[in-house]
Amino acid sequence: MNEIYFNIDAGYLEGIVRGYRDGLITAPQYMNLTQCETMDDLKLQLATTDYASFLQNEPSPLATSTLSARCTEALVAEFQYMQQNAAEPISKFLDYITYGYMIDNVILLITGTLHERDTHDLLEKCHPLGFFDTMPALCVATTVQDLYSTVLVDSPLAGYFRECLSAEDLNELNIEIIRNTLYKAYLEDFYSYCQSLGEPTGSVMAELLRFEADRRTVNITINSFGTELSKDDRAKLYPRLGNMYPEAQTKLARVDDMDQVKSILEQYSEYKIMLAGVSMNASSSSSGGNSSGDLSLEDRFFAKEVQLNKESFEQQFHFGVFYSWLRLKEQEIRNIVWIAECISQQQKDKVNNYTAIY
Amino acid sequence: MAAVRDNVFPTRMNLTTTKTRLKGAQTGHSLLKRKSEALTTRFRAIVRKIEDAKLKMGKVMQNASFSLAEVAYITGDISYQVRESAKHATFKVSAKQENVSGVLIPAFEPSLQTASQFELTGLGRGGQQIQKARAVYIKAVETLVELASLQTAFVILDEVIKLTNRRVNAIEYVIIPRIENTISYINSELDEQDREEFYRLKKIQGKKKDRAAAAQKLLDESAKQSINDGNLHAGIGAGDESSQTEVRDILAEQADDDIIF
Repeated sequence: MNEIYFNIDAGYLEGIVRGYRDGLITAPQYMNLTQCETMDDLKLQLATTDYASFLQNEPSPLATSTLSARCTEALVAEFQYMQQNAAEPISKFLDYITYGYMIDNVILLITGTLHERDTHDLLEKCHPLGFFDTMPALCVATTVQDLYSTVLVDSPLAGYFRECLSAEDLNELNIEIIRNTLYKAYLEDFYSYCQSLGEPTGSVMAELLRFEADRRTVNITINSFGTELSKDDRAKLYPRLGNMYPEAQTKLARVDDMDQVKSILEQYSEYKIMLAGVSMNASSSSSGGNSSGDLSLEDRFFAKEVQLNKESFEQQFHFGVFYSWLRLKEQEIRNIVWIAECISQQQKDKVNNYTAIY
Repeated sequence: MAAVRDNVFPTRMNLTTTKTRLKGAQTGHSLLKRKSEALTTRFRAIVRKIEDAKLKMGKVMQNASFSLAEVAYITGDISYQVRESAKHATFKVSAKQENVSGVLIPAFEPSLQTASQFELTGLGRGGQQIQKARAVYIKAVETLVELASLQTAFVILDEVIKLTNRRVNAIEYVIIPRIENTISYINSELDEQDREEFYRLKKIQGKKKDRAAAAQKLLDESAKQSINDGNLHAGIGAGDESSQTEVRDILAEQADDDIIF
């Protein structure tokens, strides 16, 4: 991509997104949030942030679920504003970002269809970012075959479905395996699309997506211990990209316990640092009453993700900032909800377990 | 109260039956008292256990809902997914009965099917947290089941103890005094009858004595007469015969009349 022409189409949006980035909650603000004693205090503190207008009309006993819903609304409003102002190729890039949410929504609707629920109620539960025009039509389909042949072929996800699943699979496979298969196809597709955009978007996004792929690989490995998921199936769910592809992935496909995972990850310098001091066993950390300093592997991954996303703001003239901003914003919402949960459940000792951004 | 007694005829047979009843009531009383004591001991133990369980429940539920918050932090909302993939219950409660001194107390027992249906939930993200939350919630539900069986036992035992105590008190303060009153009433009536009988016998004896004395007097007089007559008319033998027939006639005449006091 020629950097001279970048600002013609993308300059305004990049300005917007960098402005949004400055609106993210900073460390002193987090300090204030964690000091709150009640949800009302928290609401008062949030009034100084970008969420103010979304929270001001909420009645006083603020539930964490409402808080989370309102914050997501704020996120969606900002994202949609960018989508509406985007021109090719940014609009396409932004669409790609939403496909991940679409997968979740479609999976939700398929689950509903499989259990013969009224799927209209489910539309409300869908993530607004993953909403696409033909999605309400999914509710019309009553069988999975219908769903596949009439609706999904027209959706942006059709390619992923066509590549990895047949209509029979939808009935037979575990819904989680479908979800992960789709997500794998999505990541690979997104990766190749980003590469086609040229530099510097390609290299920035490559970094982010490789990390995402590695994280999924490790998580799928860890979470499939002791389940009926066979090792071959496990290998099929790994995204075919990332720093660990293909060598470490083939090894990970065969491991049986945490220690082996650890020894494989230690060959990669960036993950070796992450693993230091991580208790790799969720059950042991729960029985030992995990103190605030003891973070799980997931927390480390979050921290690493935040760090990578922050780094992508260091470069200019690329689309990675949009993806990074969305990820950071999501992390911020998780942080706020976490702090709110800690306050409402009076578990103040764990309130600092969030992943600070700035 | 003292005057309350059973409405019975004061007969000796009724006295025996009443005495048997008294014995029965006393045995029943001591049995019921022992039962109520056994139940109370058990009740106290249960109250202690309930206190422990309730304190534990607070902590466990807090942990559980916090682990759910952890899941929400890492995976987002999984409630719908979990609800839909639940096909049959893995946590079941079976009720059995326990016998505590004749009282049937239901005891609930949790039974867990180890096969998990959600083991693939959160495969891509947060599976460990989900499993952890699941384990914590299982513990929470176990505590709830334990508390439920204790609470049921508490209610049932409370009722039974009240019932038993009511019975014990009723026997002690109403039934036994009444039976005792009845016995003393029957006894006093019987004594009264005895005294009357004794008096009657005395009276009859007195009357009989009077009569015997009168007859003797008459006999003596007639004997004197016959001696005098014998001196006049004939020998002693003939005089004896006639006096005997005379005496016999008098007695026969007298015996027909009833003696009325």
